[in-house]
Amino acid sequence: MSASALATTATDTASDEVLLGSAAPALRPVGRAGWSVAAQPRRRPRRAFGIIAVAGALAIAGVQMGLSIVTTQDAFEVKNLTAQQRDVNYQKNILEDEVAGLSSPQFLAANAAALGLVAGGEPSYIRLSDGATLGPKTGASEASSIEALSRAAVSNALVAGVPLVTDPEASLDTGVSIDKKLLADTPTPPSITDGLPTPATH
Amino acid sequence: MTTRATRSPRRRTVVALAVVLVVLVAFVARLIDIQVVNASQHVEDAFSKGMQKTTTLEGARGAIVDANGNPLATSMLRYNVVIDPHLAEQGMSLRDDTGAIVKDDAGDTVMVTWPEIAAEIAKVTEQSADEVRAIVDDAYAKNSGSRYQVIKRLVSTAEFRELDDLGIPFLSFEPVASRSYPDGAVAGNIIGFVGSDGEPLEGVEKLQDSCLEPTSGSIKYQRGANGVTIPGTAVEKPAVDGGTLKLTIDSDLQWYMQQLIAEETDRYQANWGGILVMEVATGKIRAIAETDSVDPNDPGASKSEDRGSRLLRTSFEPGSTFKPVTAATAIEQAGVTPGTTVTVPDRMVFKNGAVVNDSEKHATQDLTLNGGLVTSSNVAMSQFGAMVDPQTRYDYLKKFGAGEADGLGWSGEPERILRPADTWDNQTKYATTFGQAFTVTAVQVANAYQTFANGGVRMPASLVESCTKADGEVIHPKVAAPERVIKEETAKEVSLMLENVFAQGTLADDVALPGYRMAGKTGTAQISDGRGGYKKNLYFTSLVGFAPAEDPKYVVLTVFDEPKKQRMSSANRSVFKKAMAQVLTHYRIMPSGSETPLLPVTG
Repeated sequence: MSASALATTATDTASDEVLLGSAAPALRPVGRAGWSVAAQPRRRPRRAFGIIAVAGALAIAGVQMGLSIVTTQDAFEVKNLTAQQRDVNYQKNILEDEVAGLSSPQFLAANAAALGLVAGGEPSYIRLSDGATLGPKTGASEASSIEALSRAAVSNALVAGVPLVTDPEASLDTGVSIDKKLLADTPTPPSITDGLPTPATH
Repeated sequence: MTTRATRSPRRRTVVALAVVLVVLVAFVARLIDIQVVNASQHVEDAFSKGMQKTTTLEGARGAIVDANGNPLATSMLRYNVVIDPHLAEQGMSLRDDTGAIVKDDAGDTVMVTWPEIAAEIAKVTEQSADEVRAIVDDAYAKNSGSRYQVIKRLVSTAEFRELDDLGIPFLSFEPVASRSYPDGAVAGNIIGFVGSDGEPLEGVEKLQDSCLEPTSGSIKYQRGANGVTIPGTAVEKPAVDGGTLKLTIDSDLQWYMQQLIAEETDRYQANWGGILVMEVATGKIRAIAETDSVDPNDPGASKSEDRGSRLLRTSFEPGSTFKPVTAATAIEQAGVTPGTTVTVPDRMVFKNGAVVNDSEKHATQDLTLNGGLVTSSNVAMSQFGAMVDPQTRYDYLKKFGAGEADGLGWSGEPERILRPADTWDNQTKYATTFGQAFTVTAVQVANAYQTFANGGVRMPASLVESCTKADGEVIHPKVAAPERVIKEETAKEVSLMLENVFAQGTLADDVALPGYRMAGKTGTAQISDGRGGYKKNLYFTSLVGFAPAEDPKYVVLTVFDEPKKQRMSSANRSVFKKAMAQVLTHYRIMPSGSETPLLPVTG
């Protein structure tokens, strides 16, 4: 823009010179003879340039508008997705709340106890090199070393009152004991002093 | 050479330029005025018009995990249900499923009254409808312009969503950062808890707050219609979550010990009991169980004295469990061996007038140092102790932790007493040989046996493994350097004698685990009655030991405060045996495959 403005000024000056020259030709300085050459007819601006300039401006405006629309659209999209994410987070939190405490050792142990499992006492091992048993060398006793259900002592508010998976009648608080009669009928496992029992069939 | 004619157009140019410049300068000045000089004023204006919004981004408090990474404490959100009583009392217009206001035949809006709404809310919050109604009615009665009243604090996400789905316009929800403890009371004595305002109040929650605490951030943005963020305006300073704190505790083992000590404390009718499991090679505490442990999910359910750790806040005179320290001192400083003999009556008056009794009457006999420990004779240990000057014995007691801090830096650590040797009176000179006249904590007793089991090198006791910051940086807590307390040879001799205590002592049959060699010692400490004497017939009993004795892996300490069914340390036998059996099973430690070499008891 500024370049064409300067060019216009230069042309104006040149035409002034021409006018002055015609009024007082004697004073016309020799050295400035070249200036008179400028007295050419004004160049007509090419239409193509104008079209390009206008088209360019329109194109820029168009692209900018397009970009603006796209980003605004994205902003709404982002808002929707954020809302979705929030909902999913709520769901996740709700699910986490539901399962919290279910994997705690006292709850697992109470479930195991409700199934009739007992916590073992002294461990026995079989040495593979010579088959010798190390440890008490007797069968495990049916007595549990701790009473994880009937005397549950380690509380957990997260699963308080939650029915056991293995015994829906019982929970950590109520500590419904297992059917003792059923246990009494269960024979003690055979002693393994003479090695592991093998079936009689061959 | 310029003429008037040529100057005139130039002047026009100059003038035009000058005008442009003046305008430009004016704009720049105004710009600086807006952007710099009065910037904060304009930002405030924008805020007040609701165009710009700053939201605080809350980081999550770090998790606490056990030695295997199982979560013991996690962060979550709870919600306070807040109502606007002023609007609530006016009721709300009934809307159909599409959200349109329902009108009756006369064209009037159908209203839902406040009592009806209260009933809806109460159904979700599990309060009675009257209760909810009263909360709001009271607030309204006090101030009819009241716009804020909490109906229920800390409801779960599920309840919050249900309430939100009711579509009550004057109900709002404040998120509150909250804690969940998946394992409940497991290690509750150590973890501690936070208050309803999120302030850490007890245990490692409080002690390690600098690790767990999050740093909140903020997001600043301009809003368009419907609260949509105007693109490109958001400036975010992200929140930094708290670090993950890893404890040395093994939660499965911890649970077993808590269940066990609860049953046994009940069985022996003690005031309280405790079990401590320490790893020999590292000094790391794998379980620290006691009765009664708080459930951090609901600290209000516990009595105030049950909400912290008793075991870490109790110091006691150790009694016989510190006799091996006397033995180690005599071996190193008086040239005594496990076979060195002294003549032991059941009551002895020393030259300086001090009188020492054994706990049971017996005929005068010649006991070896080993025999002194096996029979737990005060008279024998007094004589072996007296072979070393008090100052040296004081130094040994101090090296074994008496009178010192236990290194855990726990809050409310008890006072520990060990008076300077030059202030020991005649009785104290002998009493210190069998664990009286100074106090220690349970951790220090376990640490002393860890030292014997670890060839004489004490590893500092620790409860905290590491803190992993949100950026992944792992910080290990500073602990004291390992310290050689006694010579390796001395430690071996003392260990062997402690094995003989388990093999030849009165407790042998009750504590033996077939296949394993174990070493340890009982302690029946007298309890100060607070009037300068001791309580009659009430003791602080302990049994501490390690296994397998030929290559020790774990120290187990069990204590009871004033057991009443059996008053002496014999009360600790069954709990010790079960605890040790569980430790050996839990860590898959193989039986010894050898027998304890028996040392002579009498000379």
